[in-house]
Amino acid sequence: MIEFPQLLEVPLAEWVDAVMSWVLTNWGAGFDAVGGAILFVLLRVERFLLWLPWVVVVVGVGVVAWRAMRRWEAGLLMAGFLVLIGSFGHWDLAMMTLAIIFAAVMISLAIGIPTGIVMARSNSVEAIIRPVLDAMQTMPSFVYLIPALMLFGLGKVPAVFATIIYAMPPVIRLTNVGIRQVPSSVVEAARAFGSSSRQILFEVQLPLAVPSIMVGINQTTMMALAMVVIASMIGAKGLGMEVLLAISRIQIGKGFEAGLCIVLLAIIIDRITNALAARQQYTITT
Amino acid sequence: MQNSTPAPNGEVCVEVRELWKVFGPNAEQLLRSKARSATKESILEETGCVVALRDLSFDVQRGEFFVIMGLSGSGKSTLIRCLLRLVEPTAGRILINGEDVCAYDEAQLMELRRHTTSMVFQQFGLFPHRSVIDNVAYGLKVRGVEKEERYARAREVIAKVGLREWEGYPPSALSGGMQQRVGIARALATEPEILFMDEPFSGLDPLIRRQMQDELVELQAEVQKTIVFVTHDLHEALKLGGRIAIMRDGEIIQIGTPEDVVTAPSDAYVREFVQDASPAKVLTAGTIMEQPNVLLYEWQGPKAALHILKTTSLDNVFLVTRRGKLLGLVTVERLAGLLKKKGNSLRDALEPDLLTCSADMLVEELFPLAASTSYPIAVVDDKGKFMGEIHISTILSCMIQRQEVGMEQEQEEDEKEDESSMGEKARD
Repeated sequence: MIEFPQLLEVPLAEWVDAVMSWVLTNWGAGFDAVGGAILFVLLRVERFLLWLPWVVVVVGVGVVAWRAMRRWEAGLLMAGFLVLIGSFGHWDLAMMTLAIIFAAVMISLAIGIPTGIVMARSNSVEAIIRPVLDAMQTMPSFVYLIPALMLFGLGKVPAVFATIIYAMPPVIRLTNVGIRQVPSSVVEAARAFGSSSRQILFEVQLPLAVPSIMVGINQTTMMALAMVVIASMIGAKGLGMEVLLAISRIQIGKGFEAGLCIVLLAIIIDRITNALAARQQYTITT
Repeated sequence: MQNSTPAPNGEVCVEVRELWKVFGPNAEQLLRSKARSATKESILEETGCVVALRDLSFDVQRGEFFVIMGLSGSGKSTLIRCLLRLVEPTAGRILINGEDVCAYDEAQLMELRRHTTSMVFQQFGLFPHRSVIDNVAYGLKVRGVEKEERYARAREVIAKVGLREWEGYPPSALSGGMQQRVGIARALATEPEILFMDEPFSGLDPLIRRQMQDELVELQAEVQKTIVFVTHDLHEALKLGGRIAIMRDGEIIQIGTPEDVVTAPSDAYVREFVQDASPAKVLTAGTIMEQPNVLLYEWQGPKAALHILKTTSLDNVFLVTRRGKLLGLVTVERLAGLLKKKGNSLRDALEPDLLTCSADMLVEELFPLAASTSYPIAVVDDKGKFMGEIHISTILSCMIQRQEVGMEQEQEEDEKEDESSMGEKARD
């Protein structure tokens, strides 16, 4: 009774392998197409960001931060953070990381917002999707790397894929919540004036869900950033990989530098998207 | 005031027949069974179904101000929503302009809501992300009206509700009363035939509420819509309604004019309801006026008149022409003066300050008149024909009387007696 009986052992690993190889052989073309699409978006974003002169990026971020937060000091601070990243010599890596985040967020929103809308309009769809989202968010981010790795191999594409999967739940959830919390009196009024369900969605529900959706976008972006760092383990070049290399070589200083860059990037993205979300609040009077 | 709303021309606009709304599982099945005649409580206990509306039938006429009144939970809000199918009726028919709305598909229903009806809500239901003008123009927007045209129309209506300088603001910048004006403007912008109003003034404080009610009466006189108005406030119902349907537990227990409801409550429930209603706000001059025992006619001489006054021991009496047109009030003092001066015509014995009113004036509006005179007030029609008189004591009794609704009935009976005695006199 000391050792666990062999009889009860479940060869789950083998099963998963079997399923994955079956998926790859039968649906390989599909995943190639998905991978191609991800790469298409990613490469363009990355090329664009690397092509942009750093001054333009710094000034651009500064202006956006200033407009969003309505304080010029904030704009100056954010621009300063970017300059700091550059002065650590990590500009290109930061842009690569940013490219993966942007690509992943864009795809997440393109899938997540419509999903959230569908979820809000049907209770049964919500009942199906909600546990899936719960599972997605409770799973350790590490775990996403495995299927991504198996489906797309090493490199940037699986990194973006894993990031999408990890980052999508908040925007789905908050789109759903945003639409559902539109006061029923307002929706009823729209119905009473003869709005079609399409008009109710686009004229009333979505505009009123915008503040909530913006919060979702903010959260999705932050989760994408967190995942991108982890995704460096499967070959996503960027700041995360720099940290990973520093860890394996025990280069504390280098690791600290790259880590600080990630933090600065996180602050910049969070402050700007947060401020944009906060500006969308309506006073709903009932 | 209810008489100042345009008289419905008798054409039925909304026709409701055997309407049921039952919430809960197997509602249709319940209605097909005999169990439907059971009480609300026993149905709830046995089937878990809530009967919200039970077998309602009524008509609303074109141009009528129809008030549905009941306490919360009486089903009045469900009823008004059923009429537009915002809540699906379980059984029964609703005919709007002769067409069965219950048989409409989604597209027809949208068409109905876009072109024929409008609704005003208790919670206003304004769109918080749109400016006042966009809120008002919303009904036209969903209808597909071009921006310029719908803004022009919206501006017109906004001006009508007195919010001209607010059109660019979001609803949250407005006070409750102003928000509901926006709600009303939005409903009017589409020029609907029928206006549904679900407790539109209940969320407002009393002062604003009264003001809005007055404005609605004015507006109604101007636009002459068919209005179905839901309220839990009896005073509001009595003030606005051309007819009132009183609901309890999903049933209509009385339909009638405000006067019917106050003077002849159909059962104890309604009586309790109207008990604290001030009759002065409901009763009109026409209801409380009395037929005088004696009238003087212009051809009669002063001596005959004096004789009549003495034998009836009256101090004053109205003088009318041969055709019944009111000339004025003859008092004993003035008659005595006339006789002293050897005058011939009773026209020279009239009290100079004659107070008259029309039959549709509310008793409430007579209070100031009553305070300024001690003589009876004459009720005349719009051609000046004498219709009856109101004694100050009657008005005063209306002022102090709040509890005893029964008294009006007595008055009415008195009136009838008077009428018959008048008839005899006329024959004399």
